[in-house]
Amino acid sequence: MSAETATGNGVEKVVEVHKLLNKIGSFVLHRDLDFEVRAGEVMTLVGGSGSGKTQLVRVILGLKRPSAGFVRVFGVSWDDANYFRVRAARERMGMLFQNGALYSAFTVYQNVAFPLRERGGLDDEAIRAIVYAKLAQVELEPKHADLLPANLSGGMVKRVALARALALSPELLILDEPTAGLDPDRSDAFVRLIKRMRTEYRFAVLMVTHDLDTLQDLSDRISVLADQHIIASGSIDEVRKVPHRFIENFFGGERGRRAFTAA
Amino acid sequence: MSAAQAVLEIEEPSGAEPGATIRVSGDWTFGALAARRYQLARIAATLQPRPAQGLRWDLTGITALDDAGAVWLARALRAAEQIDVSPQYRTMLTQASEGLLVERPAQGVDPLAGVVRIGLVAIDFWLHVRDATALLGQLLLDFLRLVRRWREFPLLELSANVYRAGVSALPVTMLVGFLIGVVLTYLSALQLKRYGADLLVINIVGIGVVRELGPLLASIIAAGRSGSAMTAQLGVMRVTEEIEALSVMGVSVTARLVLPKVLGLAIALPMVSFCTDVAALAGGVLIAKLTLGITPAAFLEALPRAVEVVNFWIGIGKSVAFGIAVAFVACHYGLRVLPNTDSLAAGVTQSVVASITVVILLDSMFAILLRDVG
Repeated sequence: MSAETATGNGVEKVVEVHKLLNKIGSFVLHRDLDFEVRAGEVMTLVGGSGSGKTQLVRVILGLKRPSAGFVRVFGVSWDDANYFRVRAARERMGMLFQNGALYSAFTVYQNVAFPLRERGGLDDEAIRAIVYAKLAQVELEPKHADLLPANLSGGMVKRVALARALALSPELLILDEPTAGLDPDRSDAFVRLIKRMRTEYRFAVLMVTHDLDTLQDLSDRISVLADQHIIASGSIDEVRKVPHRFIENFFGGERGRRAFTAA
Repeated sequence: MSAAQAVLEIEEPSGAEPGATIRVSGDWTFGALAARRYQLARIAATLQPRPAQGLRWDLTGITALDDAGAVWLARALRAAEQIDVSPQYRTMLTQASEGLLVERPAQGVDPLAGVVRIGLVAIDFWLHVRDATALLGQLLLDFLRLVRRWREFPLLELSANVYRAGVSALPVTMLVGFLIGVVLTYLSALQLKRYGADLLVINIVGIGVVRELGPLLASIIAAGRSGSAMTAQLGVMRVTEEIEALSVMGVSVTARLVLPKVLGLAIALPMVSFCTDVAALAGGVLIAKLTLGITPAAFLEALPRAVEVVNFWIGIGKSVAFGIAVAFVACHYGLRVLPNTDSLAAGVTQSVVASITVVILLDSMFAILLRDVG
């Protein structure tokens, strides 16, 4: 991974969203939205159901065009006319979709090998070694490599999807509800896995989750999405102090108090 | 500002002892490897023949490492007596080395591969026959059950299928019918003119269209349109687990999904066939007028005399059989689709090919059975 370069106030921003106006048809989802993810940090995005978290992530991923405002990932805008700049930015990020989004016609091995093959520049033996190393990192064995996604359990699908997202050693990992549908043991294991991989690879993480335990365990900073923009951004303690109905319900409600006082 | 890229220096010792110290430093990432591709290839070539004895690798100068760099180094490190590496990169290198050691089963050429293939095809065919028979049996049971309790009959699904397979198919089938009628009449007219048997064109076109071409064209187009749609719909429902959801609620998949499709096409196809006949005959009338000078009135007056009504009923009867066949084959393939994209694509393709083949086979069978009629 390249050394961190200083920009502006001394911190490199891997994701920068400024004054975003995002609409679906004529319905306004996000207005005047500012959001950023700094290099090497774990940023968790929280918000109520229907607040548009997934849509914001889609804009950051370049899957949806905003009506106004700018979105830059690694300093590159998705509107950039230079195909290679955009492609280079895409190779520096990995996405873990909520339901895995594995290629159903490819085996586990082929799914993880796919980004490596697309990037090119590696021979078959190297690709093989990297795929098996990645599978070992997500606690899967070589014998699982020839299975099709339809024959995998939910937890295994998520692990293969994570291995695929990390195949190119990205500097930004985006997780959409990573612990949804996982049993408590597997959720803990997932959090431990991400923590361990961050000590080796030092990527930034943008996580969207409702799971208060995961949030508390992993996050460096949180951003709260409500009222069509980010109402608070900072460490958990800083955000809790912000007076807003959603924050009070989120952190102060039954589950919130249980999760945050147990710490 | 940027760190050195993939630096590898070999320090040969003074004196006659074997061995050397290899210092690795800088960024060992995919980008760095790509930038120094040729130099590194040359270095790797010089390192390869060296024995491991006395080779000491000093990896402490590495500033950045990713999987691609780790694999390159792991391959080179296969010949090493001593390796010094900082702890933060140790795991990555170990995993890369272990990754290199995983054995892929060798894919040799099996001399009996041809025989195995034939066997697999035969087994596959047998499974098809078995599942198709089971589906047919289940449909009959469902039909008998619904005949006794006709209030439960899926009328809405049936009417939706009649509309989709029948009414919306009309524009395309009538257009195709008209054009085939035109072509057939034109070619026959050319030949018959030579023998002065102009009026026979009404016989040829009339019987050909009403008995064979109308039903056949309508069924083949229906196989392409409705057959592929039915297979795709059932196939996707398997992928999204909708079929399981229906079964769990106690709804019979064959009674509510398959039967309305089969009956719907059995009802719709004769009607489409009839419209195709009309369109084809219209084409015939037009060409008869233009090339042979037979007026439409004369054509239509001679038609019932030239073509016995029983031919029409044979055509309609065949359409019913074709409709059942096309829908049945389409549903059979749809229910066999596995939850992946390849299987869906293959299933739809095979369904259309199989239904057209079955239609042609049935047509030949009817032709032989009914050769003395009409």
